[in-house]
Amino acid sequence: MKLLKWLLAILVAAWAGQYLLAMVAPNLIMEGVYFGGAKQGGYNQLVVRPVPDETARSVVRPSPDLLYASCLYNLEDGPIVIEAPIPERYWSMQFYQMNTDNFAGITNQRADSKRVGSVAKVTLISADDDPANYQGEVIQSPTDRGIMLLRASAIGDRTQQQAALDASRCGPL
Amino acid sequence: MLKSILKLCAATLAAILLAAMLLARNINVGVEEMSVHNGDWITTVSAGAADADPLLKTTVAFSALLASTRENSMYYRLAAVDGEPLRLNCRYRIDGRDYDANWWSITAYGWDNYLIPNAEKRYSFNNENVIRRGDGSWVITVAAREQPGNWLPVGPSGAPPWRKLGDYDFDLLMRLYTPGDAYLDAPQSAPLPTVTLEACE
Repeated sequence: MKLLKWLLAILVAAWAGQYLLAMVAPNLIMEGVYFGGAKQGGYNQLVVRPVPDETARSVVRPSPDLLYASCLYNLEDGPIVIEAPIPERYWSMQFYQMNTDNFAGITNQRADSKRVGSVAKVTLISADDDPANYQGEVIQSPTDRGIMLLRASAIGDRTQQQAALDASRCGPL
Repeated sequence: MLKSILKLCAATLAAILLAAMLLARNINVGVEEMSVHNGDWITTVSAGAADADPLLKTTVAFSALLASTRENSMYYRLAAVDGEPLRLNCRYRIDGRDYDANWWSITAYGWDNYLIPNAEKRYSFNNENVIRRGDGSWVITVAAREQPGNWLPVGPSGAPPWRKLGDYDFDLLMRLYTPGDAYLDAPQSAPLPTVTLEACE
């Protein structure tokens, strides 16, 4: 009888535990990516990555047809600014919080195609900061830490796309 | 007292292990339920989105971390043809044309979710580098051995076979960037390439 009680307790705990694990697993994996990336490039600065090949491990399922640049941000010391020239072909700037949610993004597609040729200047602020205190394009991050990822098409002639990423920056305001 | 503490530790460990096993099983079941099938291609419609289920978020974290939302790009994955997992000893033919998207690509990934090492350093084809017929249609041959035309080489992954999570040797991922309404509104029936098994050795 005692053994049955133990087994029942283990089963109930395991059943509930799987949902707890599901809730923390994305954060743990993101933490791994965040600290792994920080070791290579530090925080609040843009790292432009080479076109992925079989050795690329910074992104799961990397696309060999995309150019990537990333900025691991930390807003504990204040907002940061991301400046990025927007090229003609496919380009996007995506923001991810530490639970993997893609909470904001800018592209040069559809209605945003008018952005082509301009420079995106985004002020990224923390959740407890007031957007009214800043000018221009302001994005509020739900968490102090996260990842900003720039993607640009690498198909065909990639000269303009590569130049746009090389000229981009991410740093303190 | 010591005996009780040891029992509690053992029970906690057993519960954690069982929870991990249940999670792994439910990820597969849950993703299947949240997936949309389009022939042999499968897409999950909430990847990267804030409204994604925790199980889907966990799966995405393992297999497609930092994925974009579907308005930005859609991903269709194919790991089996007519229910048979993709194998390295088989040759597959992909028939396609152009699709309603800003651009598209088809990439082969190993069982470790990374690009497959190959001497050609060719990991994908896209709408610009694929060799087309006169009518704009194209054929890609996926095989370990060299093929004429659009050959997408596959081979063993960079990770050892014991790290395989699925029953397939490799899989294909079609990306549609800025997909048209057909993909956003009806991902189960929007036009996609056809993949057929040609032969196995």
